[in-house]
Amino acid sequence: MKKMDKKWVILCSTAIAAIYAADYVSTDTQAAIDQPMQHIANNVQKYHKSNNNKVINRTPKSLYKNGTYIGTGTNRRGSIDVAVTIKNDKVINVEISNFEMHYSESDIVELPNEVVQNQSAKVTNVSGATYSTKAFEDAVQDALYQAKNVAG
Amino acid sequence: MAGKKWTTTPKSYVTIAMVSYLIIASIGSKNTTGILNGLIAVGVALAVDYLYCTFTNRKSSKDGTIITGLIISLILSVTTPWPIVAGTAMIAIVSKHLLVYKKKPIFNPAALGLLVSIFIFHTGQSWWGAFGDLPVWTIILLLIGGYLVTGKVNKYPQVFSFFATLFVLLFLMGQLHIGDAPDALRPPFINAALFFGFFMLTDPPTSPATYKKQVIFGCLVALSGTIIYGLFGGLTYLFIGLFVGNLYHYLNKHSMKN
Repeated sequence: MKKMDKKWVILCSTAIAAIYAADYVSTDTQAAIDQPMQHIANNVQKYHKSNNNKVINRTPKSLYKNGTYIGTGTNRRGSIDVAVTIKNDKVINVEISNFEMHYSESDIVELPNEVVQNQSAKVTNVSGATYSTKAFEDAVQDALYQAKNVAG
Repeated sequence: MAGKKWTTTPKSYVTIAMVSYLIIASIGSKNTTGILNGLIAVGVALAVDYLYCTFTNRKSSKDGTIITGLIISLILSVTTPWPIVAGTAMIAIVSKHLLVYKKKPIFNPAALGLLVSIFIFHTGQSWWGAFGDLPVWTIILLLIGGYLVTGKVNKYPQVFSFFATLFVLLFLMGQLHIGDAPDALRPPFINAALFFGFFMLTDPPTSPATYKKQVIFGCLVALSGTIIYGLFGGLTYLFIGLFVGNLYHYLNKHSMKN
């Protein structure tokens, strides 16, 4: 079969590039909303509170403040929010509060328990869910950073 | 086939592009695990192909088998354990031999292997070989390789109809706030779409030859894939789209025979 004329190839390529450019520009605002720093800032404002709606300050020597903190982990493949509950410097509960990765959430459902068991944001890498695992670790670390007692 | 003659075939173009991307992406990510996975995928694919062809006394297509292995390794994450890489390559080659019509595979072997492996092994597709984690300018390398391959296999109408339909539908999704259009238009997902459109969609045995059918095929793959993406998100939409396109091509051939 005769091959497509080069002029048509250039014309079609230009038209498709124009559609893509229009797409990109029109979704720019929406994409900017999903930026990690803004996401984190929103969460800090919204969730930086304890179970009874206020942060309970502990004695200056404690490492963390008691309460529930929402941390966010974001990479090119999506984002994860986790709610980390801290009591007396111990992580007593971790929940995945928002999962927006392009993978299945079921891959990492065991990780919250692992954080509580190990008392660390560092978890075992899940095969086939490396990006979700990394985002989860970052989210827990972010929550712990927010909970950190500056005076401690 | 003599070396000089081989370099002018469509399969040689794809093989050279895939090997180049494997090396460039490995250098860019400063990680040699991807090359190791590539060797495993190609090795297992060739071994399964050899065994099947020996036992059934069929002719083997080594070039196609190598390309399938390379594509699988470029899409699976570099951290994927080697048994899963091997298993995915095995599924792809088995499908290439078992799901056939007139001795040609019905479904793109790499796409089917990767789609099945998501459900069996829970593999995460990273599309690292499409430079999903490298700087944006590396997309130019995808475009160069993609245009060369598309021209060689004479599939421009198919590729153009696929991208035009995909981008128009994503534009509508963005305007109507359905699904996650901004993600699909940005790295690493746009890299995945480009790699898919240029190197998987254009597979000659599993896609039509005539221009009219190419256009329908490209539209159908983009339409079905985008519907899946809009409804469920995730990373399977390209493979499922191609699955629908391959079925269309198969039904076409089947109805022509009857």
